[in-house]
Amino acid sequence: MRFSTWEFYLREAGRSLIRNRFMSLASISTVALSLVILGVFLLGAVNLNNVAGTLENQVEVTAFLDEKLQAEEIAAVTARIKNLDGVREVNYVSKEEALERLKEQFGERRDLLDSVEKNNPLRNAVEVRTKTPDDVKTVVQELKAMPAVAKVSFKEEIIDRLFKFTKAIRLVGLAVVVLLVGATIFLISNTIRLTVFARRREINIMKLVGATDWFIRWPFVLEGMCLGLVGSLPAVILVARFYKWLAASVYQTLPFIPLLPPDAVLGCIQLLLVGIGVLVGAIGSAISIRRFLQV
Amino acid sequence: MIEFCRVTKIYNRDIKALDNVSLSIDKGEFIFLVGPSGAGKSTFVRLLLREELPTEGRIVVDGIDTGRLRRSQVPFFRRRIGMVFQDFRLLPERTVSENVAFALRVVEAPRREIYRRVPQVLHLVGLAHKSRAKPAELSGGEQQRVALARALVNNPPILIADEPTGNLDPDTAWDIMRLLVEINQRGTTVVVATHAHEIVDRLRRRVVALENGRVVRDEEKGAYGGEV
Ligand SMILES: Nc1ncnc2c1ncn2[C@@H]1O[C@H](COP(=O)(O)OP(=O)(O)O)[C@@H](O)[C@H]1O
Ligand SMILES: [Mg+2]
Repeated sequence: MRFSTWEFYLREAGRSLIRNRFMSLASISTVALSLVILGVFLLGAVNLNNVAGTLENQVEVTAFLDEKLQAEEIAAVTARIKNLDGVREVNYVSKEEALERLKEQFGERRDLLDSVEKNNPLRNAVEVRTKTPDDVKTVVQELKAMPAVAKVSFKEEIIDRLFKFTKAIRLVGLAVVVLLVGATIFLISNTIRLTVFARRREINIMKLVGATDWFIRWPFVLEGMCLGLVGSLPAVILVARFYKWLAASVYQTLPFIPLLPPDAVLGCIQLLLVGIGVLVGAIGSAISIRRFLQV
Repeated sequence: MIEFCRVTKIYNRDIKALDNVSLSIDKGEFIFLVGPSGAGKSTFVRLLLREELPTEGRIVVDGIDTGRLRRSQVPFFRRRIGMVFQDFRLLPERTVSENVAFALRVVEAPRREIYRRVPQVLHLVGLAHKSRAKPAELSGGEQQRVALARALVNNPPILIADEPTGNLDPDTAWDIMRLLVEINQRGTTVVVATHAHEIVDRLRRRVVALENGRVVRDEEKGAYGGEV
C-alpha cells in the first residue's frame, strides 16, 4: 500500500476524531477506566499465581522431632525417613535455622523476633518432599508411627484450598475481563458508529467510485485504534503508579507478603494493556462499519 | 460494451422493476434511456453498476459478467464506470479539487497522477477557476460539472448519468448535455437516463424507451415521444 494512502487514512481518522471530540473523549475515558481495572486485576492474578507456585514448591510435609533427641538420634531418624517409600528428599532444619528463616521473612521488622531469641520456641524438624502428591498420605502415616516424631504437619489441605481459591479467582477474573473488554468494545463501536453514520454519504460515494472495502474500513479502524491507544496511556501510567506505591508500602510494613517486584511485572502488563486497548479499538470499529459495507 | 440479456429484476417478490429486458450498447455509443418515473431507469443503472444482481438474465459490461463477479472484485469493476446522479453526491466539506481527487485517492493513484489529472478534468468541464470553492458556493450546474469531473478523472470507458439534469434549469441542463456529448466524442460510451424531452428530441441520438420495466422502443436518432 502506498504511503500517500496511509497519509490519507490518518488524516481521515484525525478529522473524524476532532469532529466527534465529545464522544471520542467518552470512549477514551471508558477505555482508560476499563484498562485500569483490568490492569489491577491482572496484577492481582499474577501475584496470586506466584504465591500458588511458591507454595507448591514448598515443603509438603514437616516432621517435628521430639525435643529430647540427641544429635546421633536425629541423624538416624533423618536417614530412616529418607528411606521411607515415596520420599524424594529430606532436609533437616534445626530450630536455630528455623528462627533464622523466620527472621529473614520478617526482613526489616526482624526486631519483632528479638524477644524469642533466648528461649527459642521452635522445634527441630525434618522437611520431607514426596515423590508425588499422592504419597503424602502414606508418608504422613509412617511418620506419625515413629516415636521420635512428635508432630507431623502437612499442607495438603492448605494447598488444596489455595488451588480452589485461585481457580475461583481466575474464573471471576476471566468473567470480569470479558465483561470489561465487551463493554469497551461496545462503547468504541458506538462512537465509531456515530462517525460512520455521519459519513455514510462519503462511504456511499467511496463505493461508487470503486473503493475496496478495506480502503473504506481502514480510516475507521485507525480511528478506533487511536481511541484505544490514547485511552490506554493514562491507564498504564495509573496502574504502574499504583503498583509501585503498593509494593513500596507492602515491603515496608508487611514484608512477609511475597509481592512481585514492580520491575519484574509492570513492563509486561503495561505492554499487554496497550495492546488490548488498541485491539479493542480496532475490533469495535470493525464491528460498527460491517453493516454499512454490506450495501 | 454493455449487454443486457433477458434481464428481469423483481423487488419484494411482486414489483417487476425490469421485465425481460434485452439491450446491446456498442463501444462509443451515446444512448438515452427514457421513460416516465418508475419505468425502471434507475434500476437499469443499479444493475449495470452491480449494486444489485438481476433476478433473472445476464448482464455483461466491458466483457465482465456481473453475476459471476466476486464480491471482492466489484470495486475494481466499478472503476471502469463513471457515474453521475441527479443529486450530484459531492462531499460538502471538501473543495472542488478535493472532491475530484477523492476518486483518484480511492483507487490509490500516485500523488503525481492526482496533481496532473485533477486540473486536467476540471479544465475539461470548465471549472478550473473554481477548484478551491466548496460545493455550497457553486450553482447546481457547476456542482454537476464537478460530479462529472469526478466521474471522468479515472478515464473510465463507460459513463452513466441518471437524470443528470433533473435538478437543473433548461440552460444549465444544455451545458451539461453538451459536455456529455463532448465526452462521448472523445470515445467514452455514454448512457443517459432522463425524461428531459427537449434535449432528447434535439440531440437525435439512440433512444431506448422503458415503460413498466419493458423496452417499448429502441430507435437510432430517436425522439422522446417516438415517431416525430
Ligand atoms: N429498492 C427497491 N425496492 C422496491 N422497489 C423498488 C426499489 N427500487 C425501485 N423499485 C421500484 O421499481 C420500479 C422502477 O423504479 P426505478 O428504476 O427507480 O424507476 P425510474 O428510475 O425510471 O423512475 C418502481 O416501481 C419502484 O417503486
Ligand atoms: Mg430514477
